[in-house]
Formats: sequence, C-alpha cells, structure tokens
Amino acid sequence: MDDETSADEVQAGRRAFLTCFGSALAGGAVAATATALLPGPARAAAGGAPSPAIPDYDWKQHQWAFGVDARKCIGCLRCVEACKAENEVALDAHHFRTWVERYVYVEGEDAPRIDSQADPVNIAASGSEQHYRFANRYQDQKVERAFFVPKLCNHCTHPACVQVCPTGATFKTDDGVVLIDHTYCIGCQYCVQACPYGARFFNVEKKVTEKCTWCYHRITKGLLPACVEVCPTGARIFGDRRDKQSPISRFLAENRVDVLKPETGNAPNVFYVGIDKDVR
Amino acid sequence: MPRHIRRLLLVLIGLGLVAVAVRNLVVDRSFYEYGHYRGNAVAEIARDKPKFQGTAYCQSCHAAEYDTWAHGLHYSPDTARIVKCEVCHGPGGGRDPGQNYLHAATGPVHPGNLKLAVPADTTALCTVCHEQIVGRPAEQRQIVSGEHAGGQQCSLCHDAHAPLRFKGALAAAAAGGNPAAGQRKTAACAPCHGPTGVSAAGLIGPTLAGQNRAYLAAALAAYRSGARKNPIMLGVASVLSNSDIEDIAAFFASQKCAAGPGGAAQLAAARAAGAAMCASCHGANGVPTGAAWPSLLGQSTDYLQGALRSYAGGDRSHVVMSAIAKSLDDAGTAKVAAYYGGAACK
Ligand code: HEC
Ligand code: HEC
Ligand code: HEC
Ligand code: HEC
Ligand code: HEC
Ligand code: HEC
Repeated sequence: MDDETSADEVQAGRRAFLTCFGSALAGGAVAATATALLPGPARAAAGGAPSPAIPDYDWKQHQWAFGVDARKCIGCLRCVEACKAENEVALDAHHFRTWVERYVYVEGEDAPRIDSQADPVNIAASGSEQHYRFANRYQDQKVERAFFVPKLCNHCTHPACVQVCPTGATFKTDDGVVLIDHTYCIGCQYCVQACPYGARFFNVEKKVTEKCTWCYHRITKGLLPACVEVCPTGARIFGDRRDKQSPISRFLAENRVDVLKPETGNAPNVFYVGIDKDVR
Repeated sequence: MPRHIRRLLLVLIGLGLVAVAVRNLVVDRSFYEYGHYRGNAVAEIARDKPKFQGTAYCQSCHAAEYDTWAHGLHYSPDTARIVKCEVCHGPGGGRDPGQNYLHAATGPVHPGNLKLAVPADTTALCTVCHEQIVGRPAEQRQIVSGEHAGGQQCSLCHDAHAPLRFKGALAAAAAGGNPAAGQRKTAACAPCHGPTGVSAAGLIGPTLAGQNRAYLAAALAAYRSGARKNPIMLGVASVLSNSDIEDIAAFFASQKCAAGPGGAAQLAAARAAGAAMCASCHGANGVPTGAAWPSLLGQSTDYLQGALRSYAGGDRSHVVMSAIAKSLDDAGTAKVAAYYGGAACK
C-alpha cells in the first residue's frame, strides 16, 4: 500500500474482499457440507460401498477368531519364522508379530520361569538371530510342569490401541481384525504403550507401528494365516465364527477357553486352552 | 445486530468453511466410509501377495515327493499333525503381476531359477521339533540327538518325507513291519476278530484278514490317539507301540480273505444298490481298486452300517468318507451296507 491510499479506500477494499469472500464461500458451502460434514456411516448408507473392494470377499460374511491349544504346542517356533517370512518382519531378535513363551515351574519356586525365543540363551542355541529354537535348559533343576504359549495380537473387540490413535491409522474392521494403515501412521507409538499385551512394536526403518494382521492378505483369499498354515501339531486354530463348522467354532464349542488379561476390558479374540493364571 | 458483529460472524463462518474445504482436500475421500479410518486402507492391506502356497501347490509339480510324504507320518490329517513342505523347504513365494517370483529369504526363486532350499543340515532341521526339551508335550516323539543319532545327520537313516521309512540297511527290516512277529502279538485279538482275522457270526470285531496294511496301521493308530472313537479298541490299541502296530498290520494284511467272481453282473448289482460311486474305490465286490482304499470284504452289514454312521456322526473322520456318508440318508446307508455285507470272505 502506498502513502496516498486514503483510509476510505482501505475501508472499501476490505469491504469488497469480505463480500466477495463471503459469497464465494456461501456457494461452496452447500456442496461441501453435503459431502464432508455428513457422517461416514450415513454416507455409506446413502449409496457408498458396502464392503471394501477386495475381490471375491465380503467382510459382512465373516467374523474371524483365533484359538491356541497350548497343550499341543511343541515350541518348534516354525510359526515365528513363517510369520517373519510372510510379512517381511525385521530378521532380528527384537521384532516379532507373533512369539512363543515357555513357562517352567521349578520345584520350590513360587513363580514360573518364563523365556521366549528372543532370550539370549535361546538365540545362542540357534546360533543366529534369524532362526529360532528353544534351548534344552533347566536340565539341572527339578521341573514340575512346563508348557509353551504362542502369543500374538488379540484383535480385541474393544481395542485400547485404536482408542488412543490420534490419526485413525489403526482401526477395527467389520470382520473382526485390527489393522494399521501405514500411510496414516505418524509413528507416535501411543498404541504401543496402550496395548496391554505388548503385541505392537515400532518399525524404525519405516517409522510406523507394526503388528500381527492375522495375515489379512491371506485370510481374505481363503488361506490360513502363515503361522496356522505351518503349525505341525494343530496348536494354532483359526477360522470364521459365523461358520458353525469352522475349526475355531468347533474349538470354542468343545473347550473351556480363557483369554489373556480379561480384566483390562479389551475383550480379546484369541482364545486359549491349556494355560494357567500365570500366563498373562 | 450491530454491523461489526455481523461482519465478525461472517468472517468466522468463512473461516469455518475454509477449514471444511481444506479437510475435504487433505483427508482421503474414503475416510469415515466404514468408521474413523481410511476405508481404502482395508483393500490395500488385503492386496498383499501370500508367500506360503500350501501343499497342493507343491503337489502340482512334485507329485512323487508329495505321494511319499502323504503316506508318511509327517502327514496325519486325522489328528491335524501335519509337517508341510514349506516348513522344511521355506515358502514357495508368490508371483507378482509381472510374473516375477517374490521372495527374499529363500534366495534364488522358484521355479524361475529352479531352486528352493533343500535342507542340508537335517540335524538342525529335525531337532527343532524332535529334540527332547523341557516343556515339549509327551505326544511329540522326542529323542536325545546325541544318543539317538550319534552325531550323524538324521537323513542318513530317515527319509525326511516319510520319517519312518528308512534308508540303507535299515530299510529292509523296518519296511511295513514283520508279519511273523505280528502273529505273536495278536492272541488278544482272536476272541473278537477270529484267529486269522476273519470275522464270523458271534464275533463282535470286523474282519481284518486281507485288509490293506496301511489302512490297518492307520486304524490302530487312530484308535490309540482317540481320533477314531471306540471304547473297546481304545483300550486294546493304547498298549500297542508303533512297531507292534506295523507288525500286527503286516500279519492281518497277509491273511487270506478273497472275493467271489466280480464282473459286469456285479457292477450292475452295485449300481442297483446305489453303490456305483462306492465301487470306484471299494470295487463292485468289495475288493479295492487301488492301494489307497480299504477292502470291504467279509464285513457284516451291521458293521458297515455302523461305520458309515460313525463317519456321518463324527466318531470317525476322513476327508472322503465323511462327506460321502453325510450325503447318504438312512435308507441309502442301509441299502449300500446290505449290498457290501453280502461279500463274504472266500
Ligand atoms: C511350477 C512347478 C513347481 C512347483 C509349483 C514347485 N516346484 Fe519345486 N521344482 C520344480 C522344478 C522344475 C524343479 C527343478 C528340478 C530339477 O532341477 O531337477 C524343482 C526343484 C525343487 C527342489 C529341489 C531344488 C534343488 O536345488 O534340488 C525342491 C526342494 C523343491 N522344488 C521344493 C518345492 C516345494 C516345497 C514346492 C511347494 C512350495 C515346490 N517345489 C513347488 C517345479 C516346481
Ligand atoms: C520334515 C521336513 C521336510 C518336509 C515336510 C518336506 N521335505 Fe522335501 N526334503 C527334505 C529334506 C531333508 C530333503 C533332502 C533329502 C535328503 O537329503 O535325503 C528334501 C528333498 C526334497 C526334494 C528334492 C528331492 C531330491 O531328491 O533332491 C524335493 C523336490 C522335495 N523335497 C519336495 C518336497 C515336497 C513337495 C514336500 C511336501 C509334500 C516336501 N518336500 C516336504 C525335507 C522335507
Ligand atoms: C515342524 C516340526 C517337525 C520337523 C521339522 C520334523 N518333524 Fe518329525 N514329526 C513331527 C510331528 C508333529 C510328528 C508326529 C506326526 C503324528 O503324530 O502323526 C512327527 C513324526 C515323526 C516321526 C514318527 C514318530 C513316530 O514314531 O510316531 C519320525 C521318525 C520323525 N518325525 C522324524 C523326523 C525327521 C528325521 C525329521 C527331519 C528330516 C523331522 N522329523 C522333522 C514334527 C516335525
Ligand atoms: C543311525 C540311524 C538313525 C539316525 C542317524 C537317526 N535315526 Fe531316528 N530312528 C532310527 C530308527 C531305526 C528308529 C526307529 C526306532 C524304533 O521304532 O524303536 C528311529 C526313530 C526315531 C524317532 C521316533 C522315536 C519314537 O519314540 O518313536 C524319532 C522322532 C527320530 N528317530 C528322530 C530322529 C532325528 C531327529 C534324528 C537326527 C538328529 C534321527 N532320528 C537320526 C534311526 C536313526
Ligand atoms: C473285545 C473285543 C475286541 C478285541 C479283543 C479286539 N478288537 Fe479290534 N475291534 C473290535 C470292535 C468291536 C471293532 C469295531 C470298532 C468300530 O466300529 O470302530 C474293532 C475294530 C478293529 C479294527 C478296525 C477295522 C476296520 O475295518 O476299520 C482293527 C484294525 C482292529 N479292531 C484290530 C484289533 C487288533 C489288532 C486287536 C488285538 C491286538 C483287536 N482289534 C482286539 C473288537 C475287538
Ligand atoms: C474316493 C474313494 C472312496 C469312495 C468313492 C468311497 N469310499 Fe469308502 N473309504 C474310502 C477310504 C479312503 C476309506 C478309509 C477311511 C479311513 O481311513 O477311515 C474308506 C472307508 C470306508 C468304510 C470303513 C471300512 C472299515 O473297514 O471300517 C466303509 C464302510 C466305506 N468306506 C463304505 C463306502 C461306501 C458305502 C461308499 C459309497 C457310498 C464309499 N465307501 C465310497 C474311500 C472311498
């Protein structure tokens, strides 16, 4: 603005701008509110896609769930290696989407001793951070009881991780799976903190959070999750609760199942048999 | 309303609209389509290519290895105890749309470069599942590799695809059990199955003579594990070891239970009884058409009917027979059972 410009002209300029601005926006407003302000479900009902565009798959037809029969687990860790290969998880001893814990009750001790494939002794037994095996430990102790417990994301009905996500990058699908949208994840790691099961970890390279998806890319093609596919003893069970004949429906009908940390109110969808109260 | 307030309101509304417009531009259109997230993310995640292909995929090119494996103890679908090809060989990988194989961990890809890992160190491979360690349940057969293998590779003696099939000098002794030894172990069976395994009126056990050896062994193993439910045979089989089972199966398989003449007339009769489909595996006269199917010769109508009912009801389970038995109604079951019930041992 140069010095000659009078106060009046400034006034006029401002008025003109505001009038213009106002009417232009008022026009756009109708269209904008129609699409953007309408809540999502209502938009979906008003002709939006009923189910994501996955070929030959309708998520309304499925409700996935997972079972673990700890009595059958032999601790071979093929599931852990298969998961890493299938999902290209970092091949080191610190990042696992699924893992296996061993609970050993030594005579005279109150609490079980717990180790997993990531334990340094077990890594030493396998000789590499890329392959896993349980070492033959506790040979000198008198062991009363011992068993293996496979663990993974519980795909909870009320997932705490989803509640704390500030960007809507993690969410629960209609078919019962908790997923992470890596394009929306900002790597704040609130969800890693929120998960009571330690199922999430941070992928330093991609700067996003990662976790088990029940191999969503496989189950939507009619395949089993990789860990279930390779389990040699049927200790991992997966299926559709809508199908009364599916392995998981039969597993749930035939067994008294437990979930981990029911008191947190997350309502897990991984059901266990053969564990005890020390498994949390 | 004073003018300056009106203007202020107008500006605020304007800014609100700008915010809405910016949100519209920046936030993905599919956000909120299904909930508080980007709807398109679901299909994007589902688009990933599977790497583990399953055994049917390997079978399509490696039929011989598959066949050996499917007749060995690393394949027991009844008990869901299956050690699949890719557990030992690594994932078969998937093709991307450009027809390239995708897999990094197994190195050169398959069959583009015709290489998939052949496990060289079988001691490392097999002990992952078979080494005796604290926590491993007793149902899993375990060895102390130092004592059992004496530092040798497991594959020196065991065929990895059918682990109780042995290589070298061990092969002859172990192949299919020892019938002479088996006979000595069958005294307890006679009261119910007859001394040579030919059932007759008054004997509650079915005919075992001339039955398919592998079928007999599998039946006894299934009773022992509880996969085939029968209280009498559970008690009998629970005391048998693996080698007892092989020997006993070899003995009964070697006993005679021959069929009457078959032929076109028999086939017509089978068709009339609604058993044409059964005949494609069990033969029109109860003599099986291939090594994979059991014989129905010498079984009573009652036993056959009971067997079909237990497949339909779930006390027995088998991929083929359970489906077939479920598809038969009561009258159909009775009719085919009566038909095959007439085929006595000769
Ligand atoms: C499209 C056909 C095809 C499929 C499917 C296939 N293979 Fe092969 N495979 C081949 C061919 C061809 C060879 C090379 C044979 C040769 O070199 O003599 C081979 C070789 C192999 C070898 C030996 C490699 C070597 O270096 O000697 C192994 C082990 C193997 N395949 C395992 C598998 C497994 C496990 C699967 C299932 C995941 C599988 N294959 C699926 C065609 C196939
Ligand atoms: C328990 C582990 C295991 C499983 C399960 C397994 N293999 Fe193998 N396979 C081996 C080993 C070990 C060898 C090497 C053979 C040897 O050294 O005697 C081998 C060799 C092979 C070869 C090469 C044959 C040759 O003579 O060089 C092919 C092909 C093959 N396997 C295919 C398959 C297929 C197909 C399946 C599934 C039906 C399968 N394997 C399941 C362990 C396994
Ligand atoms: C991923 C785990 C796994 C690997 C690897 C594996 N096995 Fe097995 N093996 C099993 C299971 C499970 C069974 C039991 C099958 C059943 O109960 O029907 C079995 C059964 C056996 C048996 C029969 C035991 C019996 O008498 O019932 C032998 C022998 C055997 N395996 C040897 C081997 C050898 C040799 C290798 C290496 C080439 C090997 N296994 C690799 C899991 C494995
Ligand atoms: C020198 C030959 C030889 C070698 C090497 C060998 N085995 Fe065996 N294995 C046998 C024989 C023979 C039997 C059958 C013994 C029986 O039925 O009592 C057997 C049985 C087994 C069984 C079944 C045991 C049971 O209780 O039924 C397993 C499991 C097994 N072997 C695993 C292995 C593993 C794992 C290795 C490699 C570390 C290995 N074997 C190396 C000869 C061998
Ligand atoms: C107390 C009577 C009794 C004794 C003793 C007995 N069995 Fe049986 N067995 C039965 C009955 C009843 C059935 C039919 C069970 C069913 O419907 O599954 C049967 C079924 C079988 C079958 C399955 C046959 C088929 O065609 O599927 C085999 C194999 C068998 N017995 C073997 C044996 C052997 C081997 C012994 C001795 C070690 C033995 N049994 C001792 C009563 C007996
Ligand atoms: C595709 C081949 C196939 C066809 C078709 C088939 N079966 Fe079978 N059948 C089998 C096999 C394999 C078994 C052994 C199952 C097992 O191990 O439990 C069997 C088992 C049986 C048994 C149990 C035998 C015993 O000794 O306990 C009976 C009874 C039987 N079949 C009847 C029939 C009848 C009746 C039909 C026609 C309605 C039929 N099957 C059609 C393959 C076949």
